[in-house]
Parts: sequence; C-alpha cells; structure tokens
Amino acid sequence: MHDFEYYQPKSNDELTAVLDRTGGRLVAGGTDVLPRMRRGQLTDACLIDISRLADLRYIRQVDGQLEFGALTTYAELIASPLIQQEAAALAQAAATVGCPQTRYRGTVGGNLANASPAADSAPPLLTLDADVHLFSAKTARAVPLRDFFVGPGKTCLEAGEYIHHVTTMRPSGKWGAAFYKLGKRSGMAISIASVAAYLELGADGRLRAARLAFGSVAPCPVRGSHAEEVLLGKVPSLQLFEQAGRASLADIAPIGDVRASFEYRVHVVPVLAQRVLMTAWQQSEKRSA
Amino acid sequence: MTTIQVHLQVNDCPYTVSTSASRTLLEVLREDLGLTGVKDACGGEGECGACTVIMDGSPVNSCLVLIGQAEGSRIETIEGLAKYDQPHPIQRAFVEVGAVQCGYCTPGAILASKALLEKNLDPSDDEIREALAGNLCRCTGYSKMLTAVHLAAEVMNHGD
Repeated sequence: MHDFEYYQPKSNDELTAVLDRTGGRLVAGGTDVLPRMRRGQLTDACLIDISRLADLRYIRQVDGQLEFGALTTYAELIASPLIQQEAAALAQAAATVGCPQTRYRGTVGGNLANASPAADSAPPLLTLDADVHLFSAKTARAVPLRDFFVGPGKTCLEAGEYIHHVTTMRPSGKWGAAFYKLGKRSGMAISIASVAAYLELGADGRLRAARLAFGSVAPCPVRGSHAEEVLLGKVPSLQLFEQAGRASLADIAPIGDVRASFEYRVHVVPVLAQRVLMTAWQQSEKRSA
Repeated sequence: MTTIQVHLQVNDCPYTVSTSASRTLLEVLREDLGLTGVKDACGGEGECGACTVIMDGSPVNSCLVLIGQAEGSRIETIEGLAKYDQPHPIQRAFVEVGAVQCGYCTPGAILASKALLEKNLDPSDDEIREALAGNLCRCTGYSKMLTAVHLAAEVMNHGD
C-alpha cells in the first residue's frame, strides 16, 4: 500500500478539525477502503481512521425512531434484539454481507458512504425511510437516504462532513418486512439484485403502507415508487404482487455487468419483488394489530 | 508517512511495535513478529480468509486491519493455539479427519472455527458452513472441515 499521513481522532471535535484541515479520506472497518487502496483505486495522501470513535457505535430507540451510530458493524446489527424485532429486513441484509470476518469489521456508515449500487444495507434502510445524519464542524443536517446517493460511488456528503448516525421509522400495526439478495453464491458475493419490502395492513385488510427498494439494478439503490403506487390501499394478493413486480421495472435502470446481464436482471427483479412481498405479507398477517 | 507506536497482546504476550501507519496487522504479525502462520493468499483484498486472526474475540481478516486500528487489542494467531506442545482440539481434529491438503488456508480456517466454537459448542452443519464462508479452500471441498469442526466440538464438550 502507498504511504499516507495517518490520523486517529479520539473525539468528534478532533475528527472535524482534522477533516477540515486535511480533507483526508475516512476509514472505518476498512473492508472497502483497504482493498481499493491496494488496487491503486484510492491514492489519498491522508487517511483519517475513525474506527475508535466509541460514541459512533450504538443502537437505540429515540422518540419513535430507531437510531444507530455510523460505526455500528453488521455483526452488531445482526446481534441486536432491537434491530431483529423492528428492522428485520436490515438484520437479514446484514447477515448476507461478505462473511463473518467482513461483518465484524464492516460498518453501516461505511456501506452508505461507499455508495455502491449493490450496498446490502441500503434497500432495507430505504424501506424504513431512513435519514442519514451528516455532521461537520459547524453544521448538522439530516438527509433522506433516497437523496443521499447521487450516483455510483457518489453521495451528497460535502467537504468536511461525515456520517454521524442513521435514523429510521419504527414499524407499527400489522407489519411485515423482508429482504432477498440474489448472488452467485451465498458467501462473499456481491449481489446481482437485492430487494427489500415493508408492508403494513390496515384494519380494513388493505395495505396502508407499502415500500419497496432495490439494489444492484440502478446507478444507486432505489425505492420502487411505481410498484408502491400499485400496492397502496389495495388488498394484498399474489396477483397484486405480480402486478407490483411488473410495475417495478419502471423504477429500475439495470445494466449488464460481470455479475449478470441486463436481460437477466430485468427478468429477475419482478420475481424477487413478488417473493419478498409475499414473505412480508405472510408476516403481517401473523402479527396482531 | 506517519510512524506510530502500537501496543498489542499477541498470543498472550505483550508487544510494542513502532512502525509506519500505512502497514496492516497482517504485515506486522508476519514481518515484525515472525508469525508466518498468518497467511497472505489473495494479496490483501479480504477475499480469502487465509490471514484470519481472532481480534478481541472476533475473527477478522488481518490484511484489512490497519496496524493503528489494532492498538490495545488482543490477537490470537495459529501459533498461540497449542499449549505446552499439545495441539488444540481443533488442530487435532483437522489432522485426524484429514481436513488439510496444501495447508495454506488451514490456520485461517482453524481460527474461524475456534471463533465459532467459543460462541457455540454445538453448531449445525449450516452454522459451520457460514462460519467458514470467508475462508477459501480449493483442496478439501470443505466436507472434511465440517467433520473436523463437529469432532472438535464433541471433544471440547466432553473431553477425549
């Protein structure tokens, strides 16, 4: 690896000061940054290691929201009863990341900042209407996750800003959530396509909330707005989910790449959408209001 | 270049290393501490698991840990498993079952297995497969590793 200046801030104030002064690249779990540095894709002269900022590592509920720090690892998400109960699809997605070695180091903040179209944590977070909270020396702002991603590898993070934490809505009523990742194998696979769904059944048996999101089938992880329009206010059924699956083709913009062809992705997204919607529906039926 | 001083507890021995911050835990373990049981197979991409060590109780790819990130941590490598010249039950099981061939992935696979068995002494086949998903082996086909981890779990549960 190339030689770099290295800073290890011990507080948020120290972090913003170093960030302002150097404009260095942040590294947390290192599972994305280090391989890219080794390949020469990143050549930053300065690295700011935030892995030891303990107050960016927590999971809690605040005012009807779930909140977790940017340095929360996938392993911590999987092990958290709160995440398992209230953000089930996120826990499922975290469990599909890489392998145990990756999940003990990799962080949600890193996954989002890396802004891969295939980021596993993004589709479930999009279905939970997540906000990304960005801090800098002087400002703090919350950005909806759907606006946070700007393009492949690109976010709306400005110079001097870092991800401090993420908040999501909490599920309520008769809800169900599911995530499915299609890869060439289960371990160490980058997804061909991933889908997350969140549904809420009203007392009248109709869908009072329906949110879908996709990974690896557009320049950024995306919400399935067209599919959601088909679902909202309707009585769930296999036919409805087939219809929503077809509508989701208007939400995605897949390409063919080393993992799968354009045609394959177009074929598989409606199938996966239908599958996660069925799972989420079955869960919501079982839950008491 | 930044030079840093790092304190590590490796296989129960304290070390203080003064080194370039641009190096990884893998490089320091192999090159400075001579622990060459920690293997580098994929060239630092975090793909193969051959450099797996147990860091504060969790298996990690040491090629993806900057040395500064390991400050103050407890590291276990394959060299620390045998006690008083007695191989660890997992090492014995791998030998007994023949879950080794070229041997390059073996230290990482054994450490990943140890991290699993420390949390779960009665793992299912699927739990073992998941625990070893990040440890590439191109010789054994994994089925003998599966048998070896079950055997080790049995020995660790009941003694031999």
